[in-house]
Amino acid sequence: MNIAVLIKMVPDTESRLEIVDGKVKEDAFKYMVNPYDEFAVEQAVQFKESVGGKVTLVCLFSDNPGIDTDLRKMMAIGADEAVVLRQEGYRGDKPSTNSKILAEAIKELNADLVIGGVQGIDYYQGATGPMVAHHLNIPHISGVTKLELNGEKITAKRQIEGGLQIIESTLPVLVTAQKDMTKVRFPALKDIMMSKRKSFENRSVSASEENDVETIECSLPPARDGGLIIDGESPEEKVDKLLEKLKMEAKVL
Amino acid sequence: MSSILVIGEADGKEIKNISQQVSAVAAGMGDVVGLVMGKNISDAGMKLATAKIILADDDKLEYYDPVKFTSVVSQIVEQNNITKILMGATTMGKDLGPRIAAELRWGYLGDCLEAGSEGFVRPAFAGKVLARSNPEGSVVVSIRNNAYPAGESWSGSVENFSGNIPDSTTNTISIEKGGSGTVELTEANIVVSGGRGLENPENYDEHIRPLASVLNAAAGASRAIVDAGWVSHSHQVGQTGKTVTPDLYFAIGISGAIQHLGGMSGSKCIVAINKDPDAPIFKVADYGIIANLFDIVPVLKSKLSN
Repeated sequence: MNIAVLIKMVPDTESRLEIVDGKVKEDAFKYMVNPYDEFAVEQAVQFKESVGGKVTLVCLFSDNPGIDTDLRKMMAIGADEAVVLRQEGYRGDKPSTNSKILAEAIKELNADLVIGGVQGIDYYQGATGPMVAHHLNIPHISGVTKLELNGEKITAKRQIEGGLQIIESTLPVLVTAQKDMTKVRFPALKDIMMSKRKSFENRSVSASEENDVETIECSLPPARDGGLIIDGESPEEKVDKLLEKLKMEAKVL
Repeated sequence: MSSILVIGEADGKEIKNISQQVSAVAAGMGDVVGLVMGKNISDAGMKLATAKIILADDDKLEYYDPVKFTSVVSQIVEQNNITKILMGATTMGKDLGPRIAAELRWGYLGDCLEAGSEGFVRPAFAGKVLARSNPEGSVVVSIRNNAYPAGESWSGSVENFSGNIPDSTTNTISIEKGGSGTVELTEANIVVSGGRGLENPENYDEHIRPLASVLNAAAGASRAIVDAGWVSHSHQVGQTGKTVTPDLYFAIGISGAIQHLGGMSGSKCIVAINKDPDAPIFKVADYGIIANLFDIVPVLKSKLSN
């Protein structure tokens, strides 16, 4: 079974967010593998371990080589090879452009299953997965908390409002992983050593079509001031004061 | 004359409140056509607050399926000279929107906080940054719940979708309901969240869930207690969980890590209960109580029950 895993490199969650001239200052960002994509890698490797096949990581990013070490960690988990698409001027907030480029690369892999994270923790659009599926002309199932492989079919549990949608699909299909899908393993030292010998291809790409909406201005949300600390002699008094504020002042009860 | 398409969602016999909110936003932008897809959704669909309503009521559309739903939408877009598509940022909207955008080769803006003829604002970095855009081209937009008041139903014209519904290679077998009576986090007007201050999972069940139930609220959680396995990820509020914007948010025993604040600081009113006066949650809270949560929450619950 050939499995392609979509990997997005996202700014570390500790990154300082500063706005200069209406743009987020990005030059000091350190990048890491999008946490949701790690669940996808783990799931792909588990399927490979049970039925055989190959797991290929497909990542689109700029020429910045600073991401290679982190990608190697995904190979230590058990992915077999990585194809890193290098695009000048790459941006993480262009799902239409990016999905087109990713789909072109995935077509060559003859993947039975394409799997990625439900969303990037940079722009949170959850758009690239469904768009890649569309360009590959295959169905997709997003936000999956449990995925099972039964021969030529998969069964997915998809998180929806108030429950789970249980979906069966033939292959090929694209699935995006929600946090609960798998527990990502810690690779053993020998796997880390092995990963250094695995195929890691850098490929230069360019955009063929751009439909993405351009951001004209970024800003920080209005800062919330610390509010009122409610004092009182007893828990009863504090609660009474709080409830009065919620009813009379904030009018939310 | 170009029009705006609103994709509404039925919830039993009713139309979802988020769909009425989106209809109201669209009404301020131009001529609006509404579309509701599903099986036995006609009664609910006719309540959508748009002047013209198209109902795609068919056995084949019983469960949400991105391939089938995208096909129906693109046929309607072609027949009605649509240049913008708006929908709620529900689990369906966030899944369907991108697929439609790819099919039509339009732009996509997900989970918008503001939408109107002046442009759109969407959150980035879990709400720590706001990104404004004003697209000239055609665009598909999903709008976050509770960003706008709901529109009122009115008796517009109704027609039935008569195009093709393609087959799909995915098949929904069933819907598994979550715990009964639970309100969905992203749709709730009130959210009651608990964190590590609860000390153990039993206290989440003893204090957070009952308080949520009294308030008809959704029960949320910090990442710390989700990672510790006390509650499932579907409860997590924050950067790797859900972003919520209720009218009232209770943070109970939550210190307020930046990843958590990103997921809830858009709430209209925030109440923090924590024994640590230096907890960062107090910097965003409208009302804070510095006390042991085990002293406060039972009193709060009993006063609200009366």
